[in-house]
Amino acid sequence: MNPLRPLFVGARVSRVEDPRLLRGQGQYVADVNVPGMLAVAFVRSPYAAARIAKIDTRAAAGMPGVVAVWTAADARLQIVHEGQGITQTVLASDHVRFVGEPVVAVIAQDAYLAEDAADLVEIEYDAQEPVLDAHRSQHDEPRQVHHGRSNVVFSRTTGTEGFQEAFASAPRHVSLTFTTKRQAATPIEPRAVAALPDPFGDRLTVYVTHQSPHEVRRQLAQILGWPEQRVHVVVPEVGGGFGIKAMFYPEYAVVAEAARRLGRPVKWVSDRREAFLTDAHARDAEHVVDIAFTDAGRIVAVQDHVYGDTGAWPLWNFPGAVGEAMWASDMLPGPYQIPHVAIEITVVFSNKAPLGPYRGVGGPIGAQVQEGIIEGVARALGRDPVEIRRANLIENDQFPYRSATGQLYDQGSYGASMDAALRLMDLEKFREEQTRLRREGRYLGLGLCVFVEPSAFAESEAGSVPYESVELRMDTTGTVTATCGLGPTGQGHETTLAQIIASQLGIRVEDVTVLHGDTDNAPVGGGTGGSRSGTIGGGAALRASGELKDKIVTLAAHMLEASRDDIVLEGGRAEVTGVPGHGVPIADIARRAYLEVGALPEGMEPGLEVLGRYKPPMAATYSNGTHAAMVEVDVASGLVQVLDYVAVNDCGVVINPTIVEGQIHGGVAQGIGSALLEELHYDDAGQLTTTSLMDYLLPTLVDVPPMRVEHMETPSLSLGGFKGMGEGSLIGAPPAIANAITDALAPFGVLVTDIPVSPDQVLRWVEKARA
Amino acid sequence: MSEPKAEKVAVTLNVNGAERTVTVEPRWLLSDVLRQEFGLTGVHIGCEHGVCGACTILVDGEPVRSCLQFAVQAEGARIETVEALGTPEEMDPVQTAFWEKHGLQCGYCTPGMVLTAKALLDRVPNPTEAEIRHALSGNLCRCTGYQFIVEAVERAAELRAEG
Repeated sequence: MNPLRPLFVGARVSRVEDPRLLRGQGQYVADVNVPGMLAVAFVRSPYAAARIAKIDTRAAAGMPGVVAVWTAADARLQIVHEGQGITQTVLASDHVRFVGEPVVAVIAQDAYLAEDAADLVEIEYDAQEPVLDAHRSQHDEPRQVHHGRSNVVFSRTTGTEGFQEAFASAPRHVSLTFTTKRQAATPIEPRAVAALPDPFGDRLTVYVTHQSPHEVRRQLAQILGWPEQRVHVVVPEVGGGFGIKAMFYPEYAVVAEAARRLGRPVKWVSDRREAFLTDAHARDAEHVVDIAFTDAGRIVAVQDHVYGDTGAWPLWNFPGAVGEAMWASDMLPGPYQIPHVAIEITVVFSNKAPLGPYRGVGGPIGAQVQEGIIEGVARALGRDPVEIRRANLIENDQFPYRSATGQLYDQGSYGASMDAALRLMDLEKFREEQTRLRREGRYLGLGLCVFVEPSAFAESEAGSVPYESVELRMDTTGTVTATCGLGPTGQGHETTLAQIIASQLGIRVEDVTVLHGDTDNAPVGGGTGGSRSGTIGGGAALRASGELKDKIVTLAAHMLEASRDDIVLEGGRAEVTGVPGHGVPIADIARRAYLEVGALPEGMEPGLEVLGRYKPPMAATYSNGTHAAMVEVDVASGLVQVLDYVAVNDCGVVINPTIVEGQIHGGVAQGIGSALLEELHYDDAGQLTTTSLMDYLLPTLVDVPPMRVEHMETPSLSLGGFKGMGEGSLIGAPPAIANAITDALAPFGVLVTDIPVSPDQVLRWVEKARA
Repeated sequence: MSEPKAEKVAVTLNVNGAERTVTVEPRWLLSDVLRQEFGLTGVHIGCEHGVCGACTILVDGEPVRSCLQFAVQAEGARIETVEALGTPEEMDPVQTAFWEKHGLQCGYCTPGMVLTAKALLDRVPNPTEAEIRHALSGNLCRCTGYQFIVEAVERAAELRAEG
């Protein structure tokens, strides 16, 4: 490779998406408006559990401007959860099972009228006792969520051979229980769907806020009973997804069906209350952990019983709390050599909203347990947790490393990332400062999380295909249109894929337009989720642009009467190496390929269009890094402030460092929310009491500190050497902050195991220690 | 249950430098009217209870949540939305700075952020980091973690000073 060739991979290229977004010209689903478009309002269950005794829609249906009022009997669509043996009607029939479950759909001329009419729908309910506690639910107490079906969704016991002996013979033991409360991804753009009948093709165009265009098309086609070619999915701009927009929701089916049956365009846009009630909830797990270790702090065996609450219904084709529990326990050893594990998983139904994916799925809780184990062992031995980490970390010469839970880690930089984070934080100086300030009654703490982030899984929540596809069409002017099946929600794929493609073809980034989200033009892909787009999508872009380059080079060699081996693509030209000035603009090559086909070499097909697919050679690739948080805990008010933050991140070859840093900053902010602020709270009647942004607190500019990010690059075996990195920052941040509080409040004997940590909790700890 | 529908009324709004009279129901939110009657879809709706800041517009130069006002309350006021910033050829320095500093990801909170930042810089040309964080603390962003937004506003101050 010519070292002088401009390489955009690794460059801080400004995003091509930004000008339209900055001008307010991004088109989100809520912005889709066509003449005659109807709006839908849903009447939702006010009960956690009830039998529907009677529905009277007459007053609503009679209101001027109302086009239709549908109950389950009118909508006639259902989602069959085959794995669970239960069937969900898209509008609740007979019973409601969580607060917010849609019962009636009102379709009217505009959203104001639809909501007015929704108020006129009268529903009589016979309330039932809700199922709200996972421990009771596993015994079908107080009742079954789905009549005739056990509340246990999933139950499994696994472990390494020799666990019992290893556990029993270890000299030291400690037991800890970790919980993470129910949390909500909360993208700022609420979910929305608009369905437009196509008068020409007897098709339906569905605009939807989604991370996986092809998956949602497949699901819509299945539920509508149509072949896929009659459903055209368009995912325009999406205002954040974080996992919840990889799911299929009943509202999508209702809106699509209403458009089909009424022959009118129909739209629904969620409001914030509906978002809290019905967007996939996340986390909500308890890990009861027993740890066996040596006097030197080597962890010998870990036993974990995980309890997960999946809510009232599964999400279609997603394992819900089973995923959260299973992946958390899969990642429980993290970067440490833990030879033996025994894991029991119990996942139950409840009368809460369905639980699904939120950035990191399993990873954040797995890391919380893994790092909590380290803190617990350190506390038991009276040692610094950094020493315990060092004693247990997987060494560089052990890669590839098979963890006790069966994960095959590729090369990483576990110890080096921790060393870098400690250097950036200056641990020694901090300890001096901490000691000095404690004498003044100020409590500072430093917490770490050495994380391993599984990425680019062959299967993830964003569709089940293990590959991505990129189609490239170079036009007659030598610029390129790329289409793909990814579903970006702000990650900047239009820029990063263009960087990869432009680097290969020797053209400018702005000469590559990346299109996504339209199933009519995009090759099939799995979509965005599970930190797969950069690695698998980037691999597909590399493969496609490699093939296109191959064809351009062949044609250039013919035009320049040179050997293929001597052709270099750079600066928009094909040049012959060693012969300065002997070259041809790529635009001329493109024109030849399409318009001067008589002059093509013997046997060459016209055109410059290729389709590249890529499936990585491994089941997953593992990014890693270390987060270090410095906090101050005000023991008078209970408030925790994050003072300083360092993230050392290794995601293999970095395509665009600025974009990677932005992803890390955002995940850390979400981690601060997860550790300190965010909790979906159900009361004893099963009412969600946190249905506004005044009750469910997101981190603001004054809650998130400036962060320092340092990159390390240990390439993966995937094409391009990329590793996924979209989730690691939300995996690393909550434990780092929790452990910083543990460190700050060590004088009070506190070891944080439950998040979020509320000011009330801090005050209770302090009070208890002083009593 | 619901109130009888009120008669529509005419209201004259000064939006992005042009006056226009529209007929609205008194209960229609300013955010909805700007989006639906004026086609200004850069006004993003994130919560409709005045917390997220995505629908922020400038009313007489001050940042205001357009979801917390009725359109009829805005008669006579000077309204600016993100669409008023810059020209098709050249972005406003605040927009340019957000672009340079990667102060946005999904773009949904962006119009509110940009307008709030502009109002701050109109008032305080050289804000400190603390002033920036305080001024924008009513605008929620779920993607960026805010750091590059702070840097963008600092950069915008520089660009505006350079003129």
